Formats: sequence, structure tokens, C-alpha cells
Amino acid sequence: MAEPNQGNLGNTFIAGLWRENPVFRLLLGMCPTLAVTGAVKPALTMSICVMFVLTCSNIVVSLMRNLLKPHLRILMFTLTIATFVTIADLAVKAFAPEMSTTLGPYIPLIIVNCIIIGRAEACASKNNLITSITDALGMSLGFTIALCILASVRELLAAGTIFDIAVMPDKFVPLAAMSMPVGAFITLGLILGLINAITKKRA
Amino acid sequence: MRSVKHFIEQSWLLIAAAFCFGLLLAMTNAALKDKIEQNQIDALNNMMRGLMSEATNFEKVIDQAEIAGYKTDIYKASDNGGQIIGFAFVGTGAGFADKIKLIIAVDGTCDKFLGFDVLSSNETPLFGDRIKEDWFRAQFVGAPAGALELIKSGDTKKIDNKIVAITGATVSSQATVKIFNDHIEELKSILKEKGLID
Repeated sequence: MAEPNQGNLGNTFIAGLWRENPVFRLLLGMCPTLAVTGAVKPALTMSICVMFVLTCSNIVVSLMRNLLKPHLRILMFTLTIATFVTIADLAVKAFAPEMSTTLGPYIPLIIVNCIIIGRAEACASKNNLITSITDALGMSLGFTIALCILASVRELLAAGTIFDIAVMPDKFVPLAAMSMPVGAFITLGLILGLINAITKKRA
Repeated sequence: MRSVKHFIEQSWLLIAAAFCFGLLLAMTNAALKDKIEQNQIDALNNMMRGLMSEATNFEKVIDQAEIAGYKTDIYKASDNGGQIIGFAFVGTGAGFADKIKLIIAVDGTCDKFLGFDVLSSNETPLFGDRIKEDWFRAQFVGAPAGALELIKSGDTKKIDNKIVAITGATVSSQATVKIFNDHIEELKSILKEKGLID
């Protein structure tokens, strides 16, 4: 995983979208990727929460990077991440209670999402504030795009809808399996295969 | 003395961060707590209103009653004239994947069920979570408030103590019926004890 260069914020941002996309290229954060992509709305809510947590934790870790003791750094990262995940969980419960019910334990489980601790370790603990924020935004936007692509395919095939709006013709027969875990694995596998084919062709 | 100094040198950042983050969480919780509680009350009231459409007032009559090993509040629903429409409580039991929590309503005399709604469940989509479907729930509306029996096939429109199971979701259907059976007698004795029914 390349370290973001402080002199090139654009590259840092773009890396998260494609070259180092956390889901499609680094295969990180697989738990929410498979679990909450049955429909676009929960996938988008999860992505917004991850964006909030990743940005805030990168800010805090970057600010205290010179004070971190090597043997305590993982503990500090976890403490920081857990705090912001709890705030995100409370906010979703307060302002989107139905989505909180739909997502169930997956918002608290952002604590163990390795994208966040990975970026704290690989980027925020070694770079300045601006680079850390740029990296967090790029990575979380890449995560959002990946989850939305997966969720769109699954929702379309499982229910014939996108954002709960019917888009398929009346004769469309829903594929129930697509809303179940098997649908998540198949869709992710096919998209990863497609991306690998594209990148091989380019190389 | 040296060890205390060493301990503080090593861990001051962790202690300071834990204090700051704790404070931040306390402030967030204080700011959002009322809204979260109100959301939970609204969700409960909406479900109770759906089960007892004639009722206009919902009042908690028993706080944290223990039924079938789970604690639940019991609510009394009444209309504008003060007539009791029914009682509602949260019934909990083991489902296929996780605990199922149902809002169950009974009439004012505890003779009939008025139905149920699913407060929370993690049953398999398109199988176990079909306990939320109207045709399955409708079988409980008007059913005698006593022991219910799950059957594999039958007339789903006939209202009696027999509940037709969902094909492919036998465990979730059994769990739902078991929640009713586990709770109803204890509910009746609690309501009788409190003088809310004869």
C-alpha cells in the first residue's frame, strides 16, 4: 500500500477511488460490504457513517501522531475509533431510527472495520492533517461507490427497485437469492473478476 | 516513586484521551438521549396504534413486569370515552437466527388476541422474516387468548387457536406461536393481580 505523498493531495484522494479502492482493490471492510448491500439506502447510510468515523479518526490520529508511543498506538487508534463509532450510532438512532433498526449491529461493528484502523496506521499516524483528511475522504468515497454499486445490482435483481423506486418491468421475476448472503458473495465475486479483467487489459 | 513517574510518562496521552473521549460521548448522549427515547416510544405507539386502531390513549400500567423470563412494560389502550380497548406488551423468544421481539395485543378482558407486530427480528430474509407478512399476522387477530397450536396446512382465514405455519419457515412460525403461548398465562395472572382484569 503506497504512502500518500504530502505534495500530491489529488493523487492521495484519487487513490481511494480506484487504484487503492478499499473494497475492490484492497479487499478491506468485507463485513459491511457483504452484510448491508441488500439495498441502496442502508448501504448509503453505512457509507456516510464510515466517512464520518474515518475522517474524524484520521483528524485525531494525525493531530496526536507526534505524541504516540509505539506500543500504545493501536490502543489509541481503537479508543479514537470506538468514540466516533458510538457517536455515529447514537446519531443514526436519533435521526434515522428505521435505518438503525435495518442496520442492526453493523454500525457498532464499524469499530472493527479494518479500513479505518488501516488508514490510521498507514496514513494518519505518519502524515499531516490535510493529507490525512484528503486520504480519509478519498478512501471513504471509494468505499461509498463500491457499496452503492454492489447494493444497486443486488436491489435491482432482488426486488426490481433502486432506492425503493420500481424500475423493472412488471414481468420481471425477482431473484430472491440476491437479497441473501449468497447474492452478496456472487455479486462481489463477479465485480472483482470484472475489475481484475479491466486492470489486466490496461497493464 | 520512579515507577509512578514512568507510568505517567507512558500513559498520560491514553488517560487524557480517555477522559476527553468520555466527555465527548457523555455530551453526545445527553444531547441525543431524549430524541432516541422519543423515537422508541413513537415506534412502540405506532405499532400499538396499528394493532388497536380504536384506541386513542396508551398508558403504561405496569413497569418492567417479568413474563417468560423477559422484562416488559405493559400498556393499557383506551378510547376517548375511557373504555379499555386492550393491553399490549413486548413478547420475546428465541427465533431461528436471533431473539424475536413482538408487540402483542390482547383485548380488554384478555379473551382474544388483537394481533402482533414485529418489533425486532433477524430472521432469514424471504423465509423467517415472512412472520411480518399480513396473512400470517391476520391469523392471530381474534384468536382465543390461550394456548395456540401450529399446524402445517389449513385455512388461514379461519380464526381459531390453530395457526398455519409459513412454508420454509417452520422454526420462525414455531417461535412466534411459542412466544404467544409462553406469555399469555403469565400476562393474565399479572393483570389479575393488579386488578386490571377480572
